[in-house]
Amino acid sequence: MAELLQQVVIGLASGSIYGLLALALVLIHRATGVINFAQGEMAMFSAYIAWQLVQWGIPYWLAFAGTLVVSFAGGVAIQRVVIRPVESAPVLTVVIVTLGLLLIFNGLATWLWSGEVRTFPANRPFPTRTFEIGGVVINVQDIGIILVTLGLVGALWAFFQFTKAGLALRAAALYPDSSRLVGIRVGWMLAVGWGLAAALGAVSGMFTAAAFPPLEPTMMQAVLIYAFAAAVLGGIDSPGGAVVGGLALGVFLNLVGTYADDLQDLGFPIDLEGLRLPVAFVFILAVLLVRPQGLFGRAAVRRV
Amino acid sequence: MRHGWLGLRIAGVVAFVVLIAILPNFLSDFRASEFARVGIFFIALTGLQILTGYTGQISLGNGAFMAIGGYVSAILILGRPGLEASQLEAPSWLPVGDGMKDIWTIPIAALVAGVFGFFVGLPALRLRGLYLALVTFALAVSIPLILREPETLTGGTNGLNLFGTTEDRLTGAIDNSVHIPVLDKDLTFNDWTYYLAWSIGLLGLAVAWALLRGRPGRAFRAVRDSEVAATSSGVSLASYKTLAFAISAAYAGAAGALLTIVSTIVTPGSFPVFLSIQLLIGVVIAGLGSLVGLFLGALFIYYLPVGIQELAEVGSLPDGLQDAAKSPGMPSVIYGVVLILVMFVLPRGAASFLSKVSFPLTKRL
Amino acid sequence: MRRTSILIGVFAAALAVALPAANGRETADPGVTRNSILIGGTTPLTGVASAYASVARGAEAYFKYVNARGGVNGRRITYKYLDDGYNPSTTVQQTRQLVQQDRVFAIFNSLGTEHNLAVRDYLNSVKVPQIFAATGARTFGADFRKYPWTIGLQPSYTGEARIYGRWIQQNRKNARIAVIYQNDDYGKELLNGLRRGLGRMAGRIVATQGYEVTATDVQSQVARLKSSNANTFMIFGTPRYAIQSFIYANRLGWKPLIFVNSVSSASNIMEIASDAGNNPRVRGAIAIQFLKDPTDSTRWVGDPGMKLYRQIMKRYLPRGNANDVYHVYAMAAAHTFVQALKKAGRNPTRAGVMAQLARLDVMSPFTLPGVRIKTGRVDRFPIEQVQLMRWSVNRRGDGRWVRFGALQRTPG
Repeated sequence: MAELLQQVVIGLASGSIYGLLALALVLIHRATGVINFAQGEMAMFSAYIAWQLVQWGIPYWLAFAGTLVVSFAGGVAIQRVVIRPVESAPVLTVVIVTLGLLLIFNGLATWLWSGEVRTFPANRPFPTRTFEIGGVVINVQDIGIILVTLGLVGALWAFFQFTKAGLALRAAALYPDSSRLVGIRVGWMLAVGWGLAAALGAVSGMFTAAAFPPLEPTMMQAVLIYAFAAAVLGGIDSPGGAVVGGLALGVFLNLVGTYADDLQDLGFPIDLEGLRLPVAFVFILAVLLVRPQGLFGRAAVRRV
Repeated sequence: MRHGWLGLRIAGVVAFVVLIAILPNFLSDFRASEFARVGIFFIALTGLQILTGYTGQISLGNGAFMAIGGYVSAILILGRPGLEASQLEAPSWLPVGDGMKDIWTIPIAALVAGVFGFFVGLPALRLRGLYLALVTFALAVSIPLILREPETLTGGTNGLNLFGTTEDRLTGAIDNSVHIPVLDKDLTFNDWTYYLAWSIGLLGLAVAWALLRGRPGRAFRAVRDSEVAATSSGVSLASYKTLAFAISAAYAGAAGALLTIVSTIVTPGSFPVFLSIQLLIGVVIAGLGSLVGLFLGALFIYYLPVGIQELAEVGSLPDGLQDAAKSPGMPSVIYGVVLILVMFVLPRGAASFLSKVSFPLTKRL
Repeated sequence: MRRTSILIGVFAAALAVALPAANGRETADPGVTRNSILIGGTTPLTGVASAYASVARGAEAYFKYVNARGGVNGRRITYKYLDDGYNPSTTVQQTRQLVQQDRVFAIFNSLGTEHNLAVRDYLNSVKVPQIFAATGARTFGADFRKYPWTIGLQPSYTGEARIYGRWIQQNRKNARIAVIYQNDDYGKELLNGLRRGLGRMAGRIVATQGYEVTATDVQSQVARLKSSNANTFMIFGTPRYAIQSFIYANRLGWKPLIFVNSVSSASNIMEIASDAGNNPRVRGAIAIQFLKDPTDSTRWVGDPGMKLYRQIMKRYLPRGNANDVYHVYAMAAAHTFVQALKKAGRNPTRAGVMAQLARLDVMSPFTLPGVRIKTGRVDRFPIEQVQLMRWSVNRRGDGRWVRFGALQRTPG
């Protein structure tokens, strides 16, 4: 039983990281209707910026904040310079542009910092002390990451619900023409959406480097796959759904791995241990077939 | 004017076919093998175009169908004796046979992949847009993992090696000479693979053209443009969506089988996620809903990475730039930049450019 | 139709420019001219495995160094390596190009297990040497009778893991062993080698967990292994997962003796695993090594081999990361090849070079002192000697590898 709980706890920890990146994906999708395939690589690049700042002697949390600012500005710039020119193009064209960004950020990080493995200082962002409850080891850093993730979801929700800026963002995304009539600078609102997503991604990247060491250019590639799955599972337009999807995915993957051995002992012919990911996808597919809009997505109403 | 337009189109097609037929005489042997791979991309792109360009179903997973076709072809070419020689074996219930000539495995691979595609199309009935994209993406990610099992059949991570275990079932791979009885000519292996790939490519193109001209094509477009209107016009969404998936998978399966034959091996690593992404890029570069642009799309996705490599190795840039181009990471950056610039200049793909170019010409006819 | 012929003309012109130029008059074997010798290889310059590209670059730098000193018997070595993106189907195409189009003398140091396997039959059938395949898969040294034109270089994964097994059998009779391994041929070969090395103690392996490279982390696997109550932990994975295994073992409160495979044992990797001194699990960790580790800042000060290494890096690969042990590996391969080439005489032939590779006896500046690169009539494992070493941490918290015991021979 303790072992099962341990796997659940670990799953929640990794799941919150997937959820954080999924949150960024959802944000951009809500703002501009596009899946940003470069989100993972942008997050990785932000993590490297933070690392470089720390190398230059800047204290961690200052570097953290600085990275958020730089990432936000970067996200805004990318939307204005790279995404806006293809705004009116077919969706797939924009998808290809984000793929181009993926390649650029990946290559740039390798070119600037090489593929050598690196790390942040110890006990950053949170202390890596552990304590034990009932045979289950819990890491303070993981708790910190989960709490920050939940906090960010809450903050995001509050931002959209209760602030004028949030309202403007939602309006610009849903009804761009009406928004313009009301005086909202739609273009800049979309850019702000990208900026926020980039900042979220930066948090995800820095947390990934801490929870899944080391820092290296390929570290977010697998996370992106899981984040994409989590976002879809939760409903591609639901921030809360993204995080729930991430947590669910993290736990599910670990449970599959844990019980793969037992299943094999019972005579199950295939070794599921190596097939955690495909099994998770099958699970998500099953959910989607029952609820095509994801767990918390809004069912699309089609007007005739 | 319509008469002239038709004449120009026919001339264009004929010129294209002739060009394909005589190109190897001007290409080095190795370039022929490269063009064979362009042809393989071309076939896969044709299938994806039908699915995504004409039926509006996004697929990030056609590389997985290529993988299925590739493995089916390899297993059939090896047959039980070939598998045994590689210390592998097929389960007794599998109709593997004793080894088949490579070209006959291509239609079988296409068929098996097509059936598989049909089943993948079933979830498409409930899912659309990004949700469908994820499911197909999941396929692309999962297939290289799944194809390692059962290890006794698929060879695990090392895959299946056809070289040396298949005698004359693998045309020309070993002695590098293929005799064509009809023309009484000898071709090198590379030239042979070129003609094989492009014959199938042109055949596939013709079939696609015929399909798209007729009822299925209209139905596909109806599904893409408005599912509600399609249903109210009596077009069965279920039938045509799954049909589109099956057809695109069949094309991809044939392409995968060709890849196996051309490489003489098949491994899980031969069909990475990036392959499915390349196919999507190819279709967008070609222009969604265009058959004409597919050739350019195939050339683009094959030659862009190769071109960047050659630029870095033998290009005549000033020394500092040359070093930078060779350093780790730069090829990726250049690839990404080129991709984005092409999308800026041609957001609707090559087809829009081609029609813009040919319009002033046809105006005068 | 005129438009078509113009098109063809343009095509032909463009392609004529792209074709490589001939290089002097040819003598006996392809790739050899009066003043040059052309060798080729494939390596992942792009894609997920592009970290391994340093191997090809390191070898290239060494050859430039040799060329600057007049080459080998008056011939400059040109090393043409192509990007296969770690895709074996591409490896096949590139290798065929190198052999048929570029007409290289030999294929040198291509990277990857499946990749070298994919072309081994072809190269042997056309009698082109496949020299120093960059992989530790045992078959490259073991199956030389079937594939006489192929030879590997590094100790096999099987051999390495057998050493660990043997050591445990001799020194740790109460071992309960847990293994984390990469779920591909590399990881599985290490696991099987361990079983062989353990002999009668093979039953002491109480838990194994595999991981895929699509995993973001292996915390779940490590937790599972911990619950088996093992006191010995074998890490058979690539650097990323090795670092994680060390760190998670510590965080979960598990205190086994840890073995880490040589692919992931470079000092900079161990430094990261030690989590700035917060991870006591790295203390006493055991690994083998056969190369001089460039990130070991104290050990090789003044060592002529490493001095040469750094000079070559500075002069011929300034943008390269001198701390990357793959460069050292590559230079060891290149240096050994150059020795064999020298001995093959004024007019080297493919058969002649392979004959020299079958009777190597070279002291390399890049391998550990005492490690000779040696092959023989029935021995095609060039590097077989390794040194066991233990990670030691001093009072200040600095860690380093400390060798112990005698040089071990890895039973192929």
